[in-house]
Amino acid sequence: MPKKCKDFESQTTHDVERELYDAYDFDPQDPMFGLSSRELSGPQLERRTVLRLMAAAGTLSAMHLIPGSNVISEAAAASGGTLKCGWAGVGEFRTFDPARIAQVLLFQISSNVLSGLTHINPKLVAEGDLALDWTVNDAGTEYVFNLREGVTFHNGDKFTADDVVYTYNRSKDPKKSIHGRVIKNVTGVERLGDHKVKITLKAPQASFLTKALERSSGRAMTIVSRGAIEKMGDAQYGLTPVGTGPFRITDHKQGQSVTLERFDKYYDPDRPKLDKIIITPIVDAEPLAAAMEAGDISLIGGNPVAPELVGRFEKNPDINVSIVPGPGFQSVWMNPHIDPFKVSDFNKPLPELMKEKGFKVRLAIAKALDRDQYIKQAQFGRGVPAYGTINPAMGFYFDERIAENSNQQFDLKEAQRLLAEAGYPGGKGFPELTMNHTPSARREVQVIKAILKRNLGINIKLAAMDFPVVADKFQKLDWELTRLGSGGDFDPDDGIVDWMQTSSKFNGRTRDKSKYKFGYWSDAETDKLIDEQGQTADLKKRKELVQKANKITSDKVASAFLFHPMDVLVYSKKVNFPAESRIPGLVDLDRVTIS
Amino acid sequence: MKQYIIRRLIGAFIVMWAVATLVFVMMRLVPGDPLAAMLFDAADPDMVEELRRQYGLDQPIYVQYFKWFWQVLQGNLGSSIYGSRTPVTTIIAEAFPRTMSLATLGFFFALIIAVPAGLISAIRKHSAMDHTVTVFAFIGLSMPDFWLAILLIIVFAAKLQVLPAIGYVPLSQGFWPWLSHIILPAFAIGVGFAAIITRMIRSSMLEILKTDYMRVAQAKGLREFVILTRHGFPNALIPVLTVMGIALALLLAGAVVVENVFAIKGLGRVLIEGILNRDYPVVQGAIIAVSAIFVFANLIVDLLYGVVDPRIRFE
Repeated sequence: MPKKCKDFESQTTHDVERELYDAYDFDPQDPMFGLSSRELSGPQLERRTVLRLMAAAGTLSAMHLIPGSNVISEAAAASGGTLKCGWAGVGEFRTFDPARIAQVLLFQISSNVLSGLTHINPKLVAEGDLALDWTVNDAGTEYVFNLREGVTFHNGDKFTADDVVYTYNRSKDPKKSIHGRVIKNVTGVERLGDHKVKITLKAPQASFLTKALERSSGRAMTIVSRGAIEKMGDAQYGLTPVGTGPFRITDHKQGQSVTLERFDKYYDPDRPKLDKIIITPIVDAEPLAAAMEAGDISLIGGNPVAPELVGRFEKNPDINVSIVPGPGFQSVWMNPHIDPFKVSDFNKPLPELMKEKGFKVRLAIAKALDRDQYIKQAQFGRGVPAYGTINPAMGFYFDERIAENSNQQFDLKEAQRLLAEAGYPGGKGFPELTMNHTPSARREVQVIKAILKRNLGINIKLAAMDFPVVADKFQKLDWELTRLGSGGDFDPDDGIVDWMQTSSKFNGRTRDKSKYKFGYWSDAETDKLIDEQGQTADLKKRKELVQKANKITSDKVASAFLFHPMDVLVYSKKVNFPAESRIPGLVDLDRVTIS
Repeated sequence: MKQYIIRRLIGAFIVMWAVATLVFVMMRLVPGDPLAAMLFDAADPDMVEELRRQYGLDQPIYVQYFKWFWQVLQGNLGSSIYGSRTPVTTIIAEAFPRTMSLATLGFFFALIIAVPAGLISAIRKHSAMDHTVTVFAFIGLSMPDFWLAILLIIVFAAKLQVLPAIGYVPLSQGFWPWLSHIILPAFAIGVGFAAIITRMIRSSMLEILKTDYMRVAQAKGLREFVILTRHGFPNALIPVLTVMGIALALLLAGAVVVENVFAIKGLGRVLIEGILNRDYPVVQGAIIAVSAIFVFANLIVDLLYGVVDPRIRFE
């Protein structure tokens, strides 16, 4: 080996050892992990801070520190050029107006066009975007943001504090935005100067920077252009929004393609690298694969790539496949208001619940779901067994022990015993129930059906229906079993607040309340823990509360949690997709180049 | 003739009204709330109710119907419920040329395959050529167009890499870019159509070949080519024309699936997206457009009878 290489290797090893030592060098009792409040303030967290948080969470390994160990490969590349992309599983882009966006695949694109005050990085930690830096008062209820100066919108308008105020007022108006809920905790946004704003909260909110202010998934405070909206009207703004992001939309033929071009006045002169991006929505899997293999497109975004295609892409020497834990979960939901799943009150202590027939059936199904088998057969081995809504992409908050200590842990004998105790030995006498699912989950539900038949001897009927029907029935509690889940969950609130509280937005919102006291799940202790974690600024304490709430939902079988999907990014070897842009669930193209 | 056309036009509008009304009612009877899907990930109940009020979905169905029908009479098909609330007329105006491009080229492919194949098959009845044409016609008829579409993509786009796999380029951006993008989808929808026409031309031509005037033409010593093209083929076209009107419906039905496969947003895909999202105004508007195409195409076919066979008079 040449001396230079040896020196480099030795230096790298030394650096990794030093960084690992430094990351773990804190008092375990210290709630701040040896970090100061300054280090935890914006505009972004330093590498040392992130590593220490990972070390505290037990998720740091030497692999994280070795250069080149990332799955992302980087081709030699230069600036400029046109990148053609295909967006999977979608027929048209309905709107890019953040106030109306209701799908991950849409904010994947809008995140390249519009900015927010903050934006998450690959570790899902919030960094300043249009916010240069910020300070927080001791009570955690007042945030003062210094905004970037010299930022312009794509139409030439200057970005100022007034745009933040305008965006807030627009987002809280139910006539104009569907995301008012995200900023319900905000009591006011005050302009303190041309480039300074104060945001006041009713109560401290741990997810405020990563959820409410986030430019992609947050949407409520993704900064929009007042001038453009007033000139274009809401409808046209939705098709060709004007923002301050790295790319501007120059053409949008709805259902055909959308063209993004480099915005020369972007606040970071080094970005974006590409001249142009053309994104085509492609519904079917095979044409998508053919377009990728033929070189018609060089990158796939949008809905998750069909599992059966991933292996095919991996074998193709011209294509890169990057797989990282995805931000979401999938579940089999059991209606607790009908036999044989009936549970009248989830507030009872677990030992008491364990005596109930309905709970035994729920637990039997959860324990009989061989998640490894399911992931192998339905997801071609790509996925992480799920025991709660908190996903591995959340890193710091993910509970790595939950697979070993959850009540839902796979145990066939115990599952069969529970079912027998509930009055259905070997599945005898068990009613044939119907599982609702979307057409795209056809393969998955077949595997679930087969596993439950083999392990418990029970029969399940499958009912494929369009998403509006599944969603409508789910909210009305008009179902026996439903296979459904979530994506784009970047903060614990996206999992536990959105799904696991009595008042969660998915929890039987339109049910007949005179008939059903609660939705699919309700537990006062979980509600309290989730409320508490949402108002905790201490990260370590928040993590404890999140994991505790998550564990209760798992043990008391809020649903039979199935798996956390992997985030698969497919792109041509000619495309250089740098690691710092590889944010699970998003497709940020501002640093991407093509060779 | 004028009276006939007026009568047919009135009939056409009644058919379109009946179809649109049926679709209006059916869309509201099938399960699935458009707002439930749109706002599943976002809104709180207050917002859902506000949007329901904005879109008029909180009103009784008959009120919604009369409001919509009054708008339609004024040429306003409403706006998409989803996202940016694009006017339905804009959506249809954008999609229409794409579907027409596909249908026209598909029709052209069908004719250049079907006319010679049908004629040869009839003239060389029970020959090896006839059997071959018959076998291919049955294959064409029984092959699902989406399957053929995927097969074409795999061969011509993925393997040979001579044609693009997806997308559409308008004719205004150049003839070859336009043609290269619609060759494969047009062929996919044209094949089934070609099979039907081939069979029709064959059986119609066989009937004509037995007629007295064809024997007279032969007795006069006319060349076979002249007998077939000037005396036989035009007369064989009358039953074929009838089928063409019906087959146009098949062509449009094929376009619904094929447009989806090739990522072309024509009328078919507008319809599918609208149905999947329960986007009522879009589905209603697209159905009116499709029924208009179908009804008027059949009217044109009926009028063409008189051109092909002067004995036919419209009263």
